[in-house]
Amino acid sequence: MKYALFPGCVLEGAAAEAYTSLNKVCDKLGIEIEEIPNWTCCGASHAQGVNDFAALVINARNISIAENMGLDIMTVCNTCTLQLRTAKARLDKDAKLKEKVNKVLKESGHPYEYKGTSKVTHFLWILDEHPELLDGKVVNPLHGVKIAAYYGCHILRPQEIMNHGDGKHPEYMERLIRKLGAEPVWFDGSRKCCGFHAQLAAEHDVLTVTGQIVDSAGRAGAMAIATPCPLCQMQLDMYEPEGREAVHSQAEVPILHLQQLVGFALGMSKEDMGFDRHVSAQAKLKIG
Amino acid sequence: MDVKLRIHRFVEGRKWEQDYTVTLKTGMTVLEALIEIKEKQDPTLSFTCSCRSSICGACAVRVNGNAELACEMLVENLVKRYDTNELIIEPLGNFKVIRDLVVDWDPKYARIKKIKPVVQPKPEFSKETGCKQSPEDFNKYKKYAGCILCGSCVSECNKNSLNQSDFLDPFVFVKAEKLVADSRDKSPEEHLKAVVDAGLWRCFNCQECTAKCPKGLDPAGAIEKLKEATFAKKLDDNVGARHAKAIYDDISESGTLDESKLNIKSEGFLMAGLRAPMALRLMRVGKMNPLDKHKVNPEIETIRKIVKNAEAAAKEAE
Ligand code: SF4
Ligand code: SF4
Ligand code: FES
Repeated sequence: MKYALFPGCVLEGAAAEAYTSLNKVCDKLGIEIEEIPNWTCCGASHAQGVNDFAALVINARNISIAENMGLDIMTVCNTCTLQLRTAKARLDKDAKLKEKVNKVLKESGHPYEYKGTSKVTHFLWILDEHPELLDGKVVNPLHGVKIAAYYGCHILRPQEIMNHGDGKHPEYMERLIRKLGAEPVWFDGSRKCCGFHAQLAAEHDVLTVTGQIVDSAGRAGAMAIATPCPLCQMQLDMYEPEGREAVHSQAEVPILHLQQLVGFALGMSKEDMGFDRHVSAQAKLKIG
Repeated sequence: MDVKLRIHRFVEGRKWEQDYTVTLKTGMTVLEALIEIKEKQDPTLSFTCSCRSSICGACAVRVNGNAELACEMLVENLVKRYDTNELIIEPLGNFKVIRDLVVDWDPKYARIKKIKPVVQPKPEFSKETGCKQSPEDFNKYKKYAGCILCGSCVSECNKNSLNQSDFLDPFVFVKAEKLVADSRDKSPEEHLKAVVDAGLWRCFNCQECTAKCPKGLDPAGAIEKLKEATFAKKLDDNVGARHAKAIYDDISESGTLDESKLNIKSEGFLMAGLRAPMALRLMRVGKMNPLDKHKVNPEIETIRKIVKNAEAAAKEAE
């Protein structure tokens, strides 16, 4: 099983531990990944608000490089997934738009045209579609460990684009948590947005919701929150202290990248998974 | 099969949950279940509906936390989705409740008025010649004209749930985009300015509104279109717009985001300076190093051309 990896800016920057842990986990699971050469930022759910067509062509370029590698694309960020899949959906259903985009790619000197041959999927979805990847490899089943599954918005919505499981009532992450031997907990904040994309424009509200999410997971007895999105991870982890202040909470909950949780079940340690790069609740993590 | 509906009641200041049981029939909608309860079990139960065919928008309620049009949603589908024969029915979220499942639209209409919600015709139109437009021009906003004002999009809007005072409802943004994109309107700037002042950039981009709209109108997409229009009309002097522009510019400058500079570009040196404690926190765990040089994509010249040529093509299409 081999994928063209679209790591996204944050895995190259602030969440570098998400990249190293992903590499180690994929290696153990037998998922071969090759980074898409010279990929660019997907627009981070902001570029389309400046110039929608330019953002579309930028993503068509990203996808076309993977197509030239002959591989489907694997993402590890909800927002990258939404941006790439939105671009793909628009291009695949509108031949005229595709032609327009390819014209820009060509006249700008990009060597490949967008064809529509590579699928775009997420690491979490791959594990959900191929549970056999984990068979016999969970050497450290996380028995007695309560995990809050925090999906984040862009992996669920809009259903028309994301289309994996039921966006209004997803259960696949809980299923994976069970497969790792741990126990998923239900918590009030599970379907709330972490607010990452509005951190600067609506700071007070974003810190409040950050605090609410962590607080509700803590109250539900979660020993950690796990998320498939490095942006959600960053929001909840980096701003956990301010979030606590905003909602007058005591909750201190470690925020894991999904691949770190999988890594622990595969027998890897906190050091292996780069957990020392987390900002909040380091001492509270009792696994790994 | 029997299905239990746990309905949130609210009558004259008293709140409670009440359980009703209906026998599931093939093709039974949530609205039919509510009507059966009202007709045969409890005439005091209040809800609103009119067209019963997904047109008037009056029947929207929340089922197990998600807004649905009651006249369209089949009970059997919900039973399947939630794998249970107990459903929780509540009034829409982010509305004031009048009684049981009935919500108050008056404050929402007051909010719609903030965007000057009528077409202000261009001077070339007259009583004699009318206010015509080409089918191509109509198609630019046709989708957004299909809003039935059901309120589903605001029910779980994450920003609205936190604070409505500095942010509009998603359907108001839909209405605004309809007007801004309408070729008959003489001053889209006026609607746009009102939208920026009323919170355009505070949207979380959580896509809940788009996920909930039973008409597939994509309110979150309307918000993005409005943002794009504010750049064209130079109404972009605010932190949200600067942040989006900084990300956009990073793509043509280096290909990827320069995280260490993003806040400075978005907020200016002074505000970014106030965030120094956060920067220190990140430096301590090795997440940020201001001395790191930001990598430039080896194909940056091509990427710059793509952005430039795409911008030119978009302009041409306007
Ligand atoms: S995308 Fe924006 S408007 Fe839509 S539900 Fe989320 S916060 Fe509300
Ligand atoms: S935008 Fe959609 S969900 Fe919102 S009020 Fe209009 S029809 Fe209903
Ligand atoms: S009753 Fe009119 S939309 Fe449901």
